[in-house]
Amino acid sequence: MDTIITIKDVSFNYVTGEQISRGVKNVNLEIERGSFVVLLGHNGSGKSTLAKLLNGFLTPTEGEIIVDGINTADESKIFDLRSRVGMVFQNPDNQMVASIIEDDLAFGPENLGVEREEIGRRINWALDIVNMSEHRHRTPTKLSGGQKQRIAIAAVLAMLPNILILDESTAMLDPKGRSEVLETAHKLNKEENMTVILITHYMDEAIDADRIVVMNDGEVILDGAPSEVYQQTDVIRRAGLELPVAARVSEKLIERGYPIKFCLTDKELAEELCQLK
Amino acid sequence: MSRDITLGQYYPVESFAHKLDPRVKLLLVIVYIVGVFLVDSLYAYIVVGAFLITSIIVSRIPFKSVLKSVKGIIFIVIFTAILNLLFHKEGEVLWSFWIIVITKEGVLFSIKMALRLLLLVLGTTLLTYTTTPMSLTDGMESLLSPLKLVKFPVHDVSIIMSIALRFIPILMEEVDKIMMAQKARGASFDNGNLFKRAKALLPVLIPLFVSAFRRADELALALDARCYNATPNRTRYKKLTLSWRDLVATIAFAVYIVLIVAVNNNFWGLY
Ligand SMILES: Nc1ncnc2c1ncn2[C@@H]1O[C@H](COP(=O)(O)OP(=O)(O)O)[C@@H](O)[C@H]1O
Ligand SMILES: [Mg+2]
Repeated sequence: MDTIITIKDVSFNYVTGEQISRGVKNVNLEIERGSFVVLLGHNGSGKSTLAKLLNGFLTPTEGEIIVDGINTADESKIFDLRSRVGMVFQNPDNQMVASIIEDDLAFGPENLGVEREEIGRRINWALDIVNMSEHRHRTPTKLSGGQKQRIAIAAVLAMLPNILILDESTAMLDPKGRSEVLETAHKLNKEENMTVILITHYMDEAIDADRIVVMNDGEVILDGAPSEVYQQTDVIRRAGLELPVAARVSEKLIERGYPIKFCLTDKELAEELCQLK
Repeated sequence: MSRDITLGQYYPVESFAHKLDPRVKLLLVIVYIVGVFLVDSLYAYIVVGAFLITSIIVSRIPFKSVLKSVKGIIFIVIFTAILNLLFHKEGEVLWSFWIIVITKEGVLFSIKMALRLLLLVLGTTLLTYTTTPMSLTDGMESLLSPLKLVKFPVHDVSIIMSIALRFIPILMEEVDKIMMAQKARGASFDNGNLFKRAKALLPVLIPLFVSAFRRADELALALDARCYNATPNRTRYKKLTLSWRDLVATIAFAVYIVLIVAVNNNFWGLY
């Protein structure tokens, strides 16, 4: 396995004055290059803390993190690290620095001192991937939430990261915007071999992942392929998460003794139900 | 909102003036302003006026729109004119009553000051009508870049301006939403005296500030995530380039300066 992220015995505590609050505790993870990982957990479970540990916004109180060969505690490589770990946040409006889309995309590479022609090429490429090329010279004011978030992704892509972290980037969007962003993330994963870490508290966004990591109270409580993780319905409920509708329905039906499989998607459930006589 | 407020006053048409380099426009407007204040003879103001009208025509902006910008300051213009009229006491007395003395010089002086203010506003309006705030920011950054030598943070200032421009429409929208929410709770913003109205705005301003700070928090993370300040050798993607238009405009301007200096000092004995 080609490991791109190694998190070893990592704990992080927030210290505010006298008060110490736990961010994450004893996290051990190895993430494979080119994989699509969904990080699930309810509010305050430590997902953002873990994300911030990955791009060096925070450094571990204990343990160490190696990302793409860089130790995140190494101050001298911090910008190298940040350009390799692209991070997109929740509110698309709060991530844009310029009023013209191409200027906003140029911001990252400009900061890194990339040559003008190369910046132009990167903007072309990034806008093309997120399907927003025709908006290049426009302002973002009138775009939908999903479109703005795709621009935010493109802005990060312009730094040519190897890892893309989406920290609840779908949380503020309507269903259409959510699926646009998810589609973009999957496309990047498949076509560009981008390692994607999608942070969310919507379980149904995790179905197509290679791997799901569930956090609760700063600890990793579940880790595995979607089909395995979703079976652990009790643990998931205890973590304060809600199973997708199809899973809940099929679980209830199985409890009642109907001979069907445990399903994750509506489509699967429909097929199972049609086989019932 | 029908207009895109990020564009401010920008009047989106294609024209010679719109296509000029923002740096050139900024410099020319500065020279224009200095000119307006140095010119002293009423005849020279005719030249300034003629030049301004030509510029408006070249910008392809309807006169009506340009004149709109004067509406906002007409009160100030009249007010200063009256003050100038009353306080200028030297010279040939035209009319006097009680403590009021009006002199010929006073009349001339207040006309000139009024003209100066009007020409000043019209000229700068033309700049903001033909240049987007974004390209004005770019132009200013470029013009200020020599200040880097004395450690002035030119680039940070230009990022601040650019972010401010970016957030104006977002915060405006937010004000709309908060006002709507407060109205739904029975607040009223357009009743009562000035004091009452100001007080009614408090429940709008407080949530606005809270939200602005929350946004600033996330924005700061986003700036860092995109390697802000990674290297002192930051590059610029947008390159401002001079074209033949800028040369033509500068030559026209030089001719204009020569003209007003000549007319102002009556080189040709016209009056
Ligand atoms: N800046 C901070 N200062 C102190 N405590 C914090 C800070 N940020 C997060 N925490 C605490 O760390 C824990 C994990 O938070 P976070 O990683 O933001 O969770 P999530 O992203 O899963 O909602 C929470 O208990 C939260 O209160
Ligand atoms: Mg979070």
